[in-house]
Amino acid sequence: MGYSGARGGLEAILAAEDLVRRARDQAPAPWMPTGQITARMRLLVDRVMGEGGLYHEDTAAAALRQAEGDPLEASHLVRAHRSTLPRLAVSEPVDPDEMTILRRVVPAFREPDGPQLLGRTTDYTGRLLEQPDGQPEARPHEPGPARERTAEQRTPRRFLDLLRKMDLVADQRRTDDPDPVDITRKPARPPADRSAVLASMARAETGGLVALWYRSILGPDGDIHEVTLGDVRHGRVPLRVRHPHTGNPVTLGEFRVSEAEAIENLDGADEDRTRLDVGYGLCFGHNERKAIAMANLDIANRRFGRTGPLGQLLLLTVDGLDSAGFLEHLKLPHYVTFRSIVERKQAMRTAAEAGEGPAERVAEPAGKEC
Amino acid sequence: MTDVLSREQRCALLAEAGREELVALADECLADGAPVRVLTGPEVGAVAAQVREPVLAERFLLGDVLACRAEVEVAGQRGWSMRLGDDRAATLAAAVLDAEAEATRPQSGRIEQLCREVEARRARREAAEWAELAPTVVEFEELT
Repeated sequence: MGYSGARGGLEAILAAEDLVRRARDQAPAPWMPTGQITARMRLLVDRVMGEGGLYHEDTAAAALRQAEGDPLEASHLVRAHRSTLPRLAVSEPVDPDEMTILRRVVPAFREPDGPQLLGRTTDYTGRLLEQPDGQPEARPHEPGPARERTAEQRTPRRFLDLLRKMDLVADQRRTDDPDPVDITRKPARPPADRSAVLASMARAETGGLVALWYRSILGPDGDIHEVTLGDVRHGRVPLRVRHPHTGNPVTLGEFRVSEAEAIENLDGADEDRTRLDVGYGLCFGHNERKAIAMANLDIANRRFGRTGPLGQLLLLTVDGLDSAGFLEHLKLPHYVTFRSIVERKQAMRTAAEAGEGPAERVAEPAGKEC
Repeated sequence: MTDVLSREQRCALLAEAGREELVALADECLADGAPVRVLTGPEVGAVAAQVREPVLAERFLLGDVLACRAEVEVAGQRGWSMRLGDDRAATLAAAVLDAEAEATRPQSGRIEQLCREVEARRARREAAEWAELAPTVVEFEELT
C-alpha cells in the first residue's frame, strides 16, 4: 500500500511555530537563564544528557528551555545537535572503580568496604509538597571543617569484589577484548553484542527502560528474577584521551555518572546454582532509576535475551526518539492510508450486500513486507 | 603529584583552569611578538566515552562528552589542548600555554605556577565537598 505525504500549509506551520516562540520567549515571567536550569533542575538536565547521548549540562539546559520542559523533545534537540559535531576522539576506557563517589549505598550488605554515603538525596524524606511564594530563606548551616578524604572514602571497593572474594559470583570475565559496537553510527539489530545492548540502555528513555524492567520483573515472559542491588553509586569519573604528541593518556576532566550492580540468584537448570551473577548499569548524570533498571535488564538479558523477546525489546523499543518519534508521526496527515482503509471497508460492504461472501482470508507469507 | 609536571599533567591542569586566567596568561606569552600559528581549531566536538564495565570486563560506548580541541605553534613549538565543554577561547589559550611551557619560553614559570594554583584549588574544593558529604555517611541497623 502506498503512502504519500501532504503538501502545503507552510504559512500555518510558521504561524504555529511563532505561537510557541512568542509564548515561550516573551512569557510574562523572568527569563530563565541556563544557569538557573542547571542549578535547580539538575536531575532533569542529567536525564536529557543521558537520553540525548551528549554530556554537557549547558547544552541540555538550553534544549530543555527550547523544548518548554519536554525531556524527550529536549533529548531530540540534543541528539540533532550532537549529530552536527565532529568526533574528536574515543576516550581511553573509563574504569568505574576510579569513581569519586558523591553517593553510594549497598542495599545487599550492611557493612561493605568503605562508607555507605547517602549524599544528596530525598530518598528517605516524606513526600510533602512545598509551595513557597518565593525563594526559601537559607537554612542555618555550619559546614564542618574541610578535610582530605581517604582513598577508601573516595573510591571504596565495589561490592562485586567482595562477592568475588567470597567465591559467590559465576566468573564470566572475557579474555578477549572485542571492540564496542557504536550504535550512533549503525543501528544495532538483534542478535547484537552486549556492548550494543549496554549502549542502547545507557541512552534509553528512562521511563521506557523502567517500564520494560517492571514487565520483566512481573514475569509475563515466564522468567523468574530474584534480584538484590549491590553497589548503587553516583559520582565522578575521569575522561582521558591519548595525547597526540606523547601518546600517553591525558585527563580532560571528570563527568558524573550513576552506576548500579544487580545481583541475581542463578537457579536455571543449566546455571551454576551455587553462585550468583551480576548485571551492570551505568548512565550519564544522576539517574539512579535508569542505572538500576539497566543493571537488572543486563543480567535478565544475559540469562533470557536469546530465548525470549527481551533482547529484541532492549535493542528496538527503549530508545525514546525511536518510540516517541513513531508515535508522534501518527499526528501527521495520513489521508491516503486512511482513505485506503475506508475504501476496502466499503468494497467489502458492497460485496456483502451483493450476496458475495467475503473472500477467504489468506495469511501473508512470513517475511513478506506489506 | 610529582615535583616536575609532566606534559600530560600540565595539560590536565590547564584543562581545568579558568578561562580568564588562561587568556590573560596566553596574551602575556604572545606579547613579545613570538610567531604564532593556529594549526587546528579551536574546534568543538565530541569525545566518545568508552567504559570498561567491571562484570565481564567488556568495553561499551556510554555516550559522547562535549569537548573542545586546539593545536598551535608558538615560536616553532607545537602546543595542544583539549578541554571539556565548548569554550574555544580558553582551549586556544591553553594550547598557547602548552607550547610556551614546552619551549621553555619566558612565561614557563608562570604557567607552572598557574598549574599549581589549579591543583591547590581542586584540593580545597574536594576537601570542602567532603566536609559537606561526610555527615551523610550512614550505618543502618538490622532488625533481628
